[in-house]
Amino acid sequence: MNVALSRSAAWLLRTFFALVVVFLYAPIVVLLIFSFNDSDLPTFPLSGFTLHWYHEFLTNPDLQNALKTSAEIAALSSLGAVVLGILASMALVRYRFRGSGPVSALLLSPLVIPFVVFGISLLLLFHAIGLHLGIRTVVIGHIVITLPYTMLVLIPRLQQIDASLEEAAYDLGASRLRTFRSITLPLILPAIVCAYLIAFTTSFDEYAIASFVKGETVTFPVYLYAALRFPSQLPQVIAVAVVVIAVSLVVVIAAEVGRRVAERRLEVS
Amino acid sequence: MATGSEVGAGTPRQEAVSRSRPDLTGPGLLGVPVAWLVVFFLVPIGIVAAYSLDALSILPEPHPVTLQAWRDFFAGDPFLGHIYLNLFWKSVKMSLIVSAIIVALAYPLAYYLALSGTKRKYVLLLLLIAPFLTSYLLRVLAWKVLMGDEGPINSFLSSIGLEPLSLIYTQFAVLLVLGYVWLPFVALPIFVSLESLDRRLLEAASDLGASRWQAFFRITLPLSAPGVAAGFLFVFIPTLGEFITPSLVGGTDGYMYGNQIVDLFGTGFPDWRTGSVLALFLLGVVGLLTIVLSRFLQPRQVATD
Repeated sequence: MNVALSRSAAWLLRTFFALVVVFLYAPIVVLLIFSFNDSDLPTFPLSGFTLHWYHEFLTNPDLQNALKTSAEIAALSSLGAVVLGILASMALVRYRFRGSGPVSALLLSPLVIPFVVFGISLLLLFHAIGLHLGIRTVVIGHIVITLPYTMLVLIPRLQQIDASLEEAAYDLGASRLRTFRSITLPLILPAIVCAYLIAFTTSFDEYAIASFVKGETVTFPVYLYAALRFPSQLPQVIAVAVVVIAVSLVVVIAAEVGRRVAERRLEVS
Repeated sequence: MATGSEVGAGTPRQEAVSRSRPDLTGPGLLGVPVAWLVVFFLVPIGIVAAYSLDALSILPEPHPVTLQAWRDFFAGDPFLGHIYLNLFWKSVKMSLIVSAIIVALAYPLAYYLALSGTKRKYVLLLLLIAPFLTSYLLRVLAWKVLMGDEGPINSFLSSIGLEPLSLIYTQFAVLLVLGYVWLPFVALPIFVSLESLDRRLLEAASDLGASRWQAFFRITLPLSAPGVAAGFLFVFIPTLGEFITPSLVGGTDGYMYGNQIVDLFGTGFPDWRTGSVLALFLLGVVGLLTIVLSRFLQPRQVATD
């Protein structure tokens, strides 16, 4: 007997769960349907099947530039966030020192700042020091907000690893860098990949901060946001939306499956 | 650096710690990340504070440091009243409604996953969370399309002979979309807290004759309070400062405090001083809330009560 749920309550909760899943996926399915609909407006009844919108966005240079810009910003900022995240997580997990509480609070605090506040703060900073707004300034902002995510992935992983492995290598004469490269890095590699993916997708999708510090740069979310104001571009945007959502769902599921496979392998070894 | 002669002195653990002190590989690792956050996170907030006090300004003429903007913010305008505080209150109410509804909806979902004994627990969890990990803007876009005056919902309604609904550009639209966007995420911390619940407590309660409802209210609910508090905070904070969703589906009815901040820094009639006051006020409220609620986030404290 299940002490938490009676059989009828379990049935009720299962139905509720199914309804919520339908609610979560229905809008995405509707987008999918209308991305193949041969009409300028997303209205019922459907007008016939077309691949026109996919073809149109594949040949739209503005959109492709925006995608490329966002990919570049995401690649750079997640690299920065992961490197800073490794440094910070190693220090916080492996060493006890005075002030580690406030330091980790500072490093995690971007998790709770409203992005609109952080966006204008950065804008005022760059204005004050006269830094030209562009890809660089967006990367700076995205490193700040994705750093905590990388730490939240890396810290638990580092805690799982037996510190005596590193100490053994160190005692056998390996330098700190060598120890990190041959012992720690391979062990935390799955977590690093996971942290990179999380930082990448967060940056790729980030509009609020980018909208303040992008200057003339057009990132993908900035392009989408502007396109939403012109109904003529809507079908094309719907087609892009379907592709991006599908790709990110595949990445998410692949990352999760990969993480669990890696974890199981570690348990076995 | 390590030399052969040091090896063997003391226990390995102590030695690793003590040897780490002088070189840069110990807490010194923190230098770059901390410096990054000081320069690009703390200093910018300081600059916002300077603007709110007129110590810095976009106007070229000399300007003494003044609390005027803060005074105006709290005292209100003689003709228009407390426009900013009223708008803030409206946003608080909207965020509270969204957060409360979502936590109430997410709790049974998490409960089902954690305690029903289903074998596909993690598959179902991934199914629930996956939409959250796709583009935020695109999920808002989906609803903007769905709720349009001639969009799928309304054209479907009129095709079966029903009156169309005015969905988009209302406060309801903002609440619905924010709820949709954040629901999967809130289930996560609640699931984690329920998952770590010691089942033997429920068995003991059952053995001692408690009904499932009694066990739920006396054991499960109090022990999952940290997850509920975390989930609440995770939605409430971002929605309180939200400006993207209201600007896409809210119209004037759904206009929120975050939109006002954006507009004060916008291209029309920028007023960076007032905008800075609004931003800092929001930051202060959010900071205070985080500190208060993070007391509930310590699972051990709750368990020892």
